[in-house]
Parts: sequence; structure tokens; C-alpha cells
Amino acid sequence: MPMKKSLLFCLCFLLSGIKAAQGAVVDVAQTKEWLALGHYQEKLLGGYESTIDSLAFFLSTKGKLNPKEELEATIALFQSNDDKTKCLFPARYQFLQKNGLIDTKYPKCAELEKFYDDLRPNGITLLFTDAYMNNPSSLFGHTLLRIDTARKGTQLLAHGANYGAFTRGEENGALYAILGLTGGYFGGFTVKPYYEIINTYNNIENRDIWEFSLDFTPQERDFFVAHLWEVGHAQSRYFFFSRNCSYMLMEMLDAVRPDLRLAQDFPVQVIPLDTIKAVVARKGLVKSIHYRPSRQNKIIFRTQQMNKEEEKAYYQAIENKDYSMNELTEAQKADVVETAYQFVQYQYVAQKLELGDYRKQSFQALKARNKLKESGNFVELKEGKSPVQSHDSMRATLGVGFKNGEAFQEISYRPAYHSLSDDSYGLLRGAEINFLNTVLRHYDHQDKTVLERFDLLGIRSISPINRMFTPISFQVLAGIQRTMDPQTQEEGYLADLTAGGGGTYALRDNIWLFAMGNAKAAYGGFLQRNQYGALGANVGVYADFERWRLLAEAEKYYASAKIGSYQKYKIETSYTLNRNNAIAFNYSYQQNYGEDIEESLLSWRHFFRLF
Amino acid sequence: MKKIYLASLLMGGALMMSAPAHAIDSTGCGLGSMAWRGNSGRVPQILAATTNGSFGTQTFGISSGTSGCDPNGRVTGGTGKMALAFLENNLELYAMDAAAGHGETIDTLAGILNMDSEKLGEISKQNFAYLFADENADALDVTLKLFQVVQA
Repeated sequence: MPMKKSLLFCLCFLLSGIKAAQGAVVDVAQTKEWLALGHYQEKLLGGYESTIDSLAFFLSTKGKLNPKEELEATIALFQSNDDKTKCLFPARYQFLQKNGLIDTKYPKCAELEKFYDDLRPNGITLLFTDAYMNNPSSLFGHTLLRIDTARKGTQLLAHGANYGAFTRGEENGALYAILGLTGGYFGGFTVKPYYEIINTYNNIENRDIWEFSLDFTPQERDFFVAHLWEVGHAQSRYFFFSRNCSYMLMEMLDAVRPDLRLAQDFPVQVIPLDTIKAVVARKGLVKSIHYRPSRQNKIIFRTQQMNKEEEKAYYQAIENKDYSMNELTEAQKADVVETAYQFVQYQYVAQKLELGDYRKQSFQALKARNKLKESGNFVELKEGKSPVQSHDSMRATLGVGFKNGEAFQEISYRPAYHSLSDDSYGLLRGAEINFLNTVLRHYDHQDKTVLERFDLLGIRSISPINRMFTPISFQVLAGIQRTMDPQTQEEGYLADLTAGGGGTYALRDNIWLFAMGNAKAAYGGFLQRNQYGALGANVGVYADFERWRLLAEAEKYYASAKIGSYQKYKIETSYTLNRNNAIAFNYSYQQNYGEDIEESLLSWRHFFRLF
Repeated sequence: MKKIYLASLLMGGALMMSAPAHAIDSTGCGLGSMAWRGNSGRVPQILAATTNGSFGTQTFGISSGTSGCDPNGRVTGGTGKMALAFLENNLELYAMDAAAGHGETIDTLAGILNMDSEKLGEISKQNFAYLFADENADALDVTLKLFQVVQA
């Protein structure tokens, strides 16, 4: 009898224990820590869905949509003897242990230990690489993470963790764009030594790298690495604008510090620089910022320090392969030859030197440098204009103006990113990316409100040609605009696509002249034959006095339809009030076969981010 | 004797590592292994051409690791393998640092070799003509010679 009683007592205790644990599971499954660890985001109509798509990331078949079932399945895993699967979830183990949900031991995981031993983590750094105009997918820059290393030597031996789409590499441009925009690719993490990342960005693509060291505790750092291991084995659908490289990094940081709530700042568009700004704005997250200039910027900075003699010797070396540098001191020679060597490396990567010539010239420079006992005096480029200080990527404008004497008011909204006349501080000067710019106008006399224009895409890259660098300037503009047939006075919408290329010449550091030849195709339902093609050219002056910018252009087109043939003179100028506000004035005069069109606009430009 | 031992160690590692990696999470090896990775931009064709299908050690030029490179894309292994992998990716940067006797690659290699950076700079500069005998110097050759001169 006493025995039965004690058994009963035991059972009760056991049952109540299970009940308590179940209550705990329900509570824990709702914590922000667990939701962040499973990459769960709240759905619009309630409930949750994980961003991760790989089935292997979920232990429960309902795991993608059900955080509670996933938590239960994870607890079950760590009570089982499936060590192989346990080794894939080291961060979840830490989480369960911290919440008292398991008391089992973590198994020995050789591959995971090797991962940790190779990385030797010493901190986490967020990296931003600036815009690269030669690849549409890199126009907005790129972000990745670095796991700083405790290894002896330098951070060159650290590792970059890059989230990107796995493409097949053979798609043509259009298919690639469609798949990239619609989730046709899967994205995942790859890890590479930091020296390879530096080579790719600094030395091959000539992009600056900004390093934002995060103020993580050693526990947070290790938890990040453990979670990277979990996510590193999984993939998610990749959407170029919304679920991209930068978005996933936000979820990764949230997993370490759920209170950051970074991912929820980016429900729609995720522009890399915006994520950097969000991270910098979070209290206590970034402890230091370091700038790593591109090879091209290093070369430019060194040549700016040259006096006349050094400059002469430098061009003698890079243009005539003459490294004698007779009139210079040892230290001056060291400065010149090291700069020349960097330039030879640049030329080879830019495919302006054959391998044979490249090797020969490199060795000339190396031998010349090795002969010198002294070091040079040039300082290296250590500071840049921080992209964090640039204007925000969305723009709204309010304006008033006249079109052939008729007053109008207009509002516009542009989700991204930068116009030539906007303040270029912290951004790539001469790189214009206008995306989905939409302009609504109300005309007083006609008393009607119309969609004045919709720019699907406007990309312009003007970059000066000089003795060292010979970049091509180019533009691609596509959009719809309200157009009047000057003869019939009939109005309608004209869709056009313009593409062209040319060159830019710098009169001074901040005053550039450019010229481009262009081809245009246009379609409009109100036109007599619906469509026309045109050839033309535009020339212009671009002046960037930092707070004040001026863009003056003249363009002329010859078209297969009369309406498409015209010449137009444009002036656009903008003055910065503060980082996110500017005043702008536009004037244009268009001559065509009918009535000329004159238009002026005074506007206020406001830049912002959603959160 | 030492040199032969080291060479065979490096070569063995090189052969083992030359097998292309297939796993999706281990694509870090070699710039030529993927034409486009993430948003990082298109790697100039010339690089793909110099790395694709060739698993020999890199000669002088902007190189991407092949033989010394880890299939998981990680800094790994002993001193020899790490030094070789590093030099395969940074040979032209190390060449100038060696010629001058200082620089970031020397600081890094000194860490790998567990020696004083200034000392390595001195040794590299003094032995530059031996390390980089001519313009066809390759990473494996330079690594072997470097081990020789630092042990001398």
C-alpha cells in the first residue's frame, strides 16, 4: 500500500512536470530569441513564416510555418541519439540549454570544430563595398560579414561570409534579371578568406570597402558563428530587391541580438547602404569604422602627392617603361616605383596589358624597388567620405513651375537612389541611378492632374578619361512621359528607351565635360505610326561644388517621325540645405517642327528612409 | 632533405585539394569556380580563363588559389599549406612587399610563419632575387624558397 501511494505521487509529479515544460515550450516558442533564430517573420494575416526555404533547416515538417512545433522537434532532437543532426544546430542547442529545456550534452562534432578552428573568431565586422557601375547587380553596392580572426598576422586571414544567389552562370541578361527579380534563384552563404574578398573588390573591381566592427561580446560572437553554421547549410529564395544579400544579414544580426529588430525595417526594398545606415543608427552596435580604399583610389591618392619631378619620372616609368628615375632621391624613387607597380597591376586587371608585358613590367618595377634601401614618404589613403553620411535613398519632391506659360504644381517620388544633381557626398561621383521615379502634375489652366512621367530606370555613368584611366561613360534610360504633338496639339504617353555611350573629360577635379552618342526607340498610341526610332547625341557640363551642383546639357535627335526630331537645352541645378534636403531648379527649352516647349521648375527635394 | 619533405607535403596537399568542390556551401575556392557570386559582380573573363580547368600552381599574375586553396574556402591547415594558399592569392602583392621589405602581406605571412614581421621583411628583401628569380616565378616555387630562407 505505501508503495502504491508513492508510485502515484511519482506519476503526479511527473505529469505536472511535463505540463510545466509544455507551458514553457509555448512561451519560449513565442520569444523573440526563438523567432529570430528560426528566421520567422510575422505574416500579414497573422501567424509566422520562416525566410529559410531549405527543408533540412526544419526538424518538424510544419517547421517553416510553426515556431512551436519546430521548437518541440528541436527539443526532441537533443533528447535523441541523432548526433549527426545535432551537429548541424549548435546555436539552437545553446538556446535550449539557456532556457532550461534540455540537459543533454552536445555531441562531439568534428566538422563544426574544424570550422571554428579554421575561423578562430575574434569579432564580427559588417562590410560595405561601394557601387560598381559595370554590373547591374552591383549598382547599389554590396554588403557582407567578416568573422574577424584571432590568428597571428593580420585580418587578411579573417573570413568573409557572403550571402548571394547561386546562378547557373549561363543565363542571358534578360533571363537573369527575371529570375533575380522573381525568386528564381536560391541564395545561400559562402565563406572565403578575407584576402580573396579584398582581391575581388579592392583590386579587381576597384571598389572601396568600409568595415564596420560590431560591438559583440565574445558570447554573442560565438553564437553568431554557431548560427552561421546552421544557416550555412540552408538556402532561401533570392529576390534581388527584397530578400537579397543585405536583408539576410539583417536577420543574421537579429538572431544574435533580437532586440535590434533590423529585419523589420526592410519590408519591401533592401538597399545595401540603407542597411548599413540602420546598423550604424542602432545604439551600441558599431564600435569602429575602417576604410579600405580601392586600388584605383590608392593610385590616385599617391599621384596627387607627387611633385613635378616625381610625376615626370612616374609617367616615364608607366608609359615608356623607363625606371631610371635619375633626378630623384632614394625615397622619391621608392614612392614613384611603388605607385607605378600598382598601376601596372591595375592595367593588367583592366585587360590593358598582355600577360607577357605585364610580367615584364612588373619585374622591372620590382627590381628597381629592391635596389633602393630607403622607404618612400607618401602617406597612404586612410580616410574617405563616409557613405553613412550620404543622403538617404528615397526622394520626394514638391515643385511649382511653368510650361509654355501655364502654371503647374508637381509632386514626385523616387524609391532609389541618386541623381547627378543630388549631393554626391559619400557616393560615387558621376554615377546616377534613378529607379521608378514617378511625377504627378496639376496644370492650372487646363485644371487637370496627370501622370507627367514615370522613369522605369535611369542609369548614367560619367567618369573622366585622363592619362591613366580611360573609362567609358554610358547611359540607359527607359520610361514613359506625357508628350504633346506640337502640330496637332494632341497629348499622349510616349514610352521610350535610350541607350548611348561616350567619354568624359575633367576640366578640373570637379568640373567635367561629357559627350555621348545615343540611340532611341519610342512608342506612343497617339502617334500617327505608333512608333519611331531616333539617333542623336548629347553634350554637357557637370560641376560638383559639393553643396551646389550644376548640370547643363544640349541634345539633338534625328528621328524616323517628325515628333522625335528635336533639339533641347537643359539646365538642372541643386543646392544642399542639409543632408536630406535640397532646393533644385530645372529649366529646359525644346525646339522641334512645331511650337517650341519651354519649361521651368523650382522644387524642394527631400530624401528619406522608411524607418 | 628538409626541402624535399616540405615539397612533397605541399604537393600532396596540392593534389588532394585540386579536386573540384561540388557542395553548394563550399564554393569559396578559386575566383574562376563561379562566374558570379552573390552581388559581388562579374569577375573579369581573364581571371576565369586563367583558373578554369587548370589545377597547376599559379604563376605570377593576379591569381586565384587553386592548389593551395581549401575546398571549403577557408584559411586552414598547417604553416606550409596556409602560406602556399596565401601566396597563390597574393603573389604580386607579396612581390612588391618583399622587394621593399615591408607591407601588409609581410605582416600576414609573419603571422602564418610565427615570426617577427620586421625580420621577415628583412629576409624577404635580402633574398628577393632568389625568391623571385625571374618573371615566371610561381607561388609554389616562392613558398618553397621562402621556407628555405627563413629556416637558414
